[in-house]
Amino acid sequence: MNRAARRPLAVLALALAAAAVHGEVYQEPGAFIAEVFGSTPAPKVLWLTKELQAQAAAILGHAPPQLRQRYWSGGGKSVWILEETGKEELITAGFVVVDGRIDHVRVLEYRESRGQEVRQSSFLKQFKNAKLAQGNRLDREIDGIVGATLSVGAMERMARLALFFDRLSHG
Amino acid sequence: MSPRLLLLLFLRRWHARIGLAAVVFFLFLAATGVVLNHATDSGLDARYVHSAWLARCYGIAAESPRHAFRSGKHDLIAANGRWALDGRIAGEKLPRPIGIVELPGMIVVASSASLYLYGKDGVLIDRLESSALPAVPVQAIGAGARQLVLRTASGTFGSSDALSWQPAPHDVVAWSSPADLSIAEGERYAQMLEPGISVERIVLDLHSGRFAGRYGPFAVDLLAVFLAVLSLSGAWLFLKRKHRR
Repeated sequence: MNRAARRPLAVLALALAAAAVHGEVYQEPGAFIAEVFGSTPAPKVLWLTKELQAQAAAILGHAPPQLRQRYWSGGGKSVWILEETGKEELITAGFVVVDGRIDHVRVLEYRESRGQEVRQSSFLKQFKNAKLAQGNRLDREIDGIVGATLSVGAMERMARLALFFDRLSHG
Repeated sequence: MSPRLLLLLFLRRWHARIGLAAVVFFLFLAATGVVLNHATDSGLDARYVHSAWLARCYGIAAESPRHAFRSGKHDLIAANGRWALDGRIAGEKLPRPIGIVELPGMIVVASSASLYLYGKDGVLIDRLESSALPAVPVQAIGAGARQLVLRTASGTFGSSDALSWQPAPHDVVAWSSPADLSIAEGERYAQMLEPGISVERIVLDLHSGRFAGRYGPFAVDLLAVFLAVLSLSGAWLFLKRKHRR
């Protein structure tokens, strides 16, 4: 490939790299946790044994990225900061679980170039009071967003995982 | 022969010629289009092709590994956003490491804004971003009195579990520092850590013609025109025949 022919690819590579690093932090995880509890409690840890990894993998559709899941709990609430890939980049979201139901959800960081609509409250309110049903599925259908199908799927998987982890954390 | 019949013959001949000439390209576009439509489901976005030649095509200059970080029996070599931890690739799109520390039961790799905790078998245990660290940027990582120690502009902090951090003395810490690689090691790791391009991106560039350089998209545009001509001429020939019957 000659130099002239390579130039558009270099430009494309730079554009894709720029898109890859495009991301917006809406709230730092620490600030979200402090907002939920009024202060930041010490983190607790849930270790994923092989059996739990398999169950988490069934929810996510892939192996969980790590074996140690940090969470914060107190006053009947637990907070889970989770990450899942939408199309190409990770979405970071915070889930507050009370009595086995999702109290509220917030997208903390969105790195994809499209699909930011999943951070809108009109979408997130669908998760309010959602709980796990049979097969570790949500007890309701989450309406999709045109153009953000993969991000919606990622949010739903994280919601299921947060509820699953919350159940485990109660022993 | 009437002009209308001449036009019919002309269209029929060129419809066949264009169809035959473009059949390979149309099949290629159809195949790559289907693959792209299901790229995420089939995990093509997470698969990478590692090749210095391919990286050069994309204008990406391959970075040569220069240093190794060593702690106990473990070593880490990084280049092109990839890490080789104890000779195994730890992942893609990873930050530049600043050190490695071996603790009982885990290996900790630090970048300026994150910590990666691995088991002794190289499996990722946890990844701590800046919000889970006592301060950033991390300037150095070290081991002291069976605990992990981070040096930052705000002070030195220690932790035995990488969860809770306390101010720590910095004078009894073995700080991780880079060591030079031998030429043989450098060559071996340069090959192992070649930059990667995702399969999805390659298929996308093949589909759009960008892989062929500046004029590739125009060639694909031309194929689109051919397809339009084929559709229109095919429809016209079909309707003409039906009308005649």
